[in-house]
Amino acid sequence: MNKKSALNFVLTMLFVAAVGYWIFSSVRGEFFKQSRDGQRRTVETIAAGYPGLDEPEFLDSWLKRLDEETKKDYKLVFIKDIPAPNDNNFEAQGDAELAALIKYNISNSEFAKGFDNAAYEEIYRSVNNWTLSDKEHALFFAPALNSKTHDIDGVLVFAFDNSAETGFVNMLLTLFGVAFALFAVVIWQIMLSRDPIVGFALAGLFIMALIFVAYPLFEALRLSFLENGKFSLAIWKQILNSEGYMAALIGSLKLGCWTATVSTFVGFLFAFACTRTNIKFKKLISTMGVLPVISPPFSLTLSIILLFGNNGLVTRFLGLTGSSWFTIYGLPGLVLVQTMGMFPIAFLTLSGVLQAIDSTFEEAALNLSAGRFKTFTSVTLPLSVPGLLSAWLLVFTTSLADFANPLLLAGDLKVLSLESYIEVTGMNRLGHGAALSILLLLPTLTAFLVQRFWVARKSYVTVTGKPSGRVMELVTPPVKKLIAGFIFFIIIFLIALYGTIFAGCFVKNWGIDYTFSLENIYEAITRSKDALFDTVTLAAVATPIAGIIAMIAALLIVRRKFHGKRLLEILLMTPFALPGTLVGISYILAFNHAPIILVGTAAIIIINYVIRELPVGIEGGIASLRQIDPSIEEAATDLGADAATVFKSIVLPLVRPAFLSSLSYTFVRSMTAVSAVIFLISARWYHLTVLIYNFSENLRFGLASVLSTVLIIIVFGAFGIMRLLVRENENLMKNVT
Amino acid sequence: MNKSKSVTLENIVKIFKDPQSGQDVKAVDNVSFRLEPGELVTLLGPSGCGKTTVLRMLSGFEQPTSGRIMIGDNDVTFTPPNKRDTAMVFQSYGLFPHMNVFDNVAYGLRLRKMPESDIALKVSKFLDMVGLGQMAKRPPSRLSGGQQQRVALARSLIVEPSVLLLDEPLSNLDALLREQMRVEIRRLQKSLGITAVYVTHDRIEAMSLSDKIIVMKGGHIAQIGTPSDIYRDPANTFVAGFVGKVAFFPCVVKNIAQASQGSGCEVEVKGRIFRAPRWAKDLKPDDKALVMARPESLSIGEAGTGVEDGIVTTNIYLGNSVESWVHTDLGDVLVQIDNPDEKKIFAEGESVSLSFNPNLTKILIDDREAV
Repeated sequence: MNKKSALNFVLTMLFVAAVGYWIFSSVRGEFFKQSRDGQRRTVETIAAGYPGLDEPEFLDSWLKRLDEETKKDYKLVFIKDIPAPNDNNFEAQGDAELAALIKYNISNSEFAKGFDNAAYEEIYRSVNNWTLSDKEHALFFAPALNSKTHDIDGVLVFAFDNSAETGFVNMLLTLFGVAFALFAVVIWQIMLSRDPIVGFALAGLFIMALIFVAYPLFEALRLSFLENGKFSLAIWKQILNSEGYMAALIGSLKLGCWTATVSTFVGFLFAFACTRTNIKFKKLISTMGVLPVISPPFSLTLSIILLFGNNGLVTRFLGLTGSSWFTIYGLPGLVLVQTMGMFPIAFLTLSGVLQAIDSTFEEAALNLSAGRFKTFTSVTLPLSVPGLLSAWLLVFTTSLADFANPLLLAGDLKVLSLESYIEVTGMNRLGHGAALSILLLLPTLTAFLVQRFWVARKSYVTVTGKPSGRVMELVTPPVKKLIAGFIFFIIIFLIALYGTIFAGCFVKNWGIDYTFSLENIYEAITRSKDALFDTVTLAAVATPIAGIIAMIAALLIVRRKFHGKRLLEILLMTPFALPGTLVGISYILAFNHAPIILVGTAAIIIINYVIRELPVGIEGGIASLRQIDPSIEEAATDLGADAATVFKSIVLPLVRPAFLSSLSYTFVRSMTAVSAVIFLISARWYHLTVLIYNFSENLRFGLASVLSTVLIIIVFGAFGIMRLLVRENENLMKNVT
Repeated sequence: MNKSKSVTLENIVKIFKDPQSGQDVKAVDNVSFRLEPGELVTLLGPSGCGKTTVLRMLSGFEQPTSGRIMIGDNDVTFTPPNKRDTAMVFQSYGLFPHMNVFDNVAYGLRLRKMPESDIALKVSKFLDMVGLGQMAKRPPSRLSGGQQQRVALARSLIVEPSVLLLDEPLSNLDALLREQMRVEIRRLQKSLGITAVYVTHDRIEAMSLSDKIIVMKGGHIAQIGTPSDIYRDPANTFVAGFVGKVAFFPCVVKNIAQASQGSGCEVEVKGRIFRAPRWAKDLKPDDKALVMARPESLSIGEAGTGVEDGIVTTNIYLGNSVESWVHTDLGDVLVQIDNPDEKKIFAEGESVSLSFNPNLTKILIDDREAV
């Protein structure tokens, strides 16, 4: 160990000590505040019950009753009149020991202050602790206010046992001391190790995962079991017994099942047409089959409302306005809009699966003189069952976690993501919100795990040999026409939806006045300037952070052996399976009190983006690194590069495609975030999507259309740039051995 | 370049944890050896013998469980690879695919903060040295396997390491190119006077390259010696079999003569007495042992005239020699007949008898594992 690393160690430990002291003092302050607030409340309640001096026996019996009835955690003395300074000749009733203490210390300035405050009808808390029965006590001076005469009869002096507080502080000190020592040992170990950079990176990842993944979830869970600061099953009992909440659970499941089923069907048709027929415009089909996945929230909902809402274009045209049976708000409308937004998930999954199923199987079946339909039902369909299930489950989870669409379109339908939002923002019942979003997690997590560990393993895809590269015509011309008709109907519908939003920008007042106007554009831009700036800034800051951390984490997971690797992987991947509402709620629960207060800052939003988008980046990085020969990195190390240099000069350029797509993914998702961000925004840091929601809620559809269009342009632009960069990259280095 | 250093391994043990069973596996078990400055030493052995692990411990990618590694006078046992004065040539070359040939070779120099103008000079010197002066701007993906190999070699040599480590560097090349590169590596190593450790499972590669060969088996060193030592005087039947074709004839030790009378080991094979110039030192009279005979020390005669009868199964004509495979009760034996035009070649299917020239044999303890 040389001088330089010793200095580094000392500096690091000083930093740790400073952070530790900051956390320690904020925890201590929080605890003090809570206990003092409690004491003050007790003092206020009892002082308010002061009966007055007119009947001396009242006072006596009041004091006695206090002794008997309340669980007294304090000592109380009543002093008649306000004693003059240094005059220990006063009348006192109540606790004799306390009275003696007051008499003995009457000349102390604290007492003078206390009596003074009481004279001005204020409650005063002693700064110092006073010893009573060998224990530290805090003193409160409260005025004894006669409710009839409105005179001050005297002073009520309370003494609260403060030794628990001192004990708590001591315990806290010990805890922090131990933690500090542990830290010192760990950091010392890392600095002595052969690879300090890797050690610090790992320690950093673990700390990040614990603070920003595990801790908020734990807080959400804890709060759902808390009532008045004590453990209780009350919230859960209430939720599980309430018809309203159960209706929301059933509503979510119903919506999920419908959307998943319809989306899988549509996605399968798209995928089938692209891989098993020689249909025309394949490029258009596959583009339109992917596009909605990156379209901003509210955009499709918005145009559905513009077309089919109570005053919508189509509604009006068909004369259905005010009709008793037709409404787009509710389950059918939601299924429609979710399907439009989520069938791409099914399409992407299934076209991968269908591409991987070797056509030779089908050729073999046809060769054995099975008919085309028979071939489809006996070969193609069974082989794609795992893929179908996978797609269904993926859409199901996405639909359940969806928050933006129900927010505008739910109508009378109750869904969990929405209910938990209402509990938190409308009713200010954080515990209920947390519990509901945890309830939402159960089906989501189940579906996710089934997909991940069961369906994915049952896949037949890997058993195939070389893909023949030839497209099998698996359907007869009439059937093909039918499929083509259906697909183009959906594509035209999608284009119409996007077109409606665009048209909405230029119309004075949609539904009422369709004259051309640029007013909305002008107003929207002026009113959303700040939010737009915030949104882009936050996303732009989060994007490189998430990208770099994802690649570092992927590198460590793929290339290094370390203890707790599995745990780190699980922690970092968890946010992928969490509904956004749960993440949002758990973040405001965890970070609005000591030791880490972030609510209202930009940091909480950025951290939330980073944590939520890391899993996809890490998966991409891992997949990409697995293809790269480790000896490339070893060669760099061997030539003298340390871990950071290897990362910068070798790994990052080699995983560039994965890195770029992780960047654009994070950027796009951050620009279009709603479900978690809606809980985390503040007056200072606002988000465009929330603004779109507000405009839509206030029926300012023109403004909402303009903002949606702006978002669509930004998002598609970011995606386009990324695709260009990746393609260029692929041409550059095809041969990574 | 006169900075080449010795390399010393002392009692190196490496224990891995088997990821499946969680049990400890001894990959390297108490290995010690010393390389003199400027020597090229080959670690030779079958896959799984621990030779690559030893090399990776030398480079610093693995740490020994116990023992000590010295380069020159420095203890580098726990020095990380980027702080070690070694350079490694990888089996798969590990060229940086996103850099051209020049940048690949310059990488180590740039890390050492050498001025760009000096780098340009030195890189072109080394590229010329490996015959790639014209290829500086090409990406590695547009080079042939042999050229990639040369880039890897230049990239390692340019940082002037004290020790050059080569991990089966030729295994991805075809036979002709391999022979060419073997000569090339040997030439570069000698001209730069660099200490080198070369890992291979190819005995011909080891024989033709090395000053010294270390034969490894199951994490142990089976023998250390010059190529001819290893070939003519193998320590045991494993080494004998691994470094070349061999036939073993069971025998009984009769007498071990000491050096003053012209040393030798007298053995009896099927009632005949032979005297071999080399023998395993632990042998005592009346021990059962084996006569080790290489194909070139064997000859074929009429049935009943030699020590072991058999049938010729295959004759392979190679011009300057014929290789005859003879099936016997001891197994299939290869006999190399030099100057075949002067000798009688028995046809395939003929009954024959094998004899050996005792002056070219060694008597070994029978430590063959039951197959």
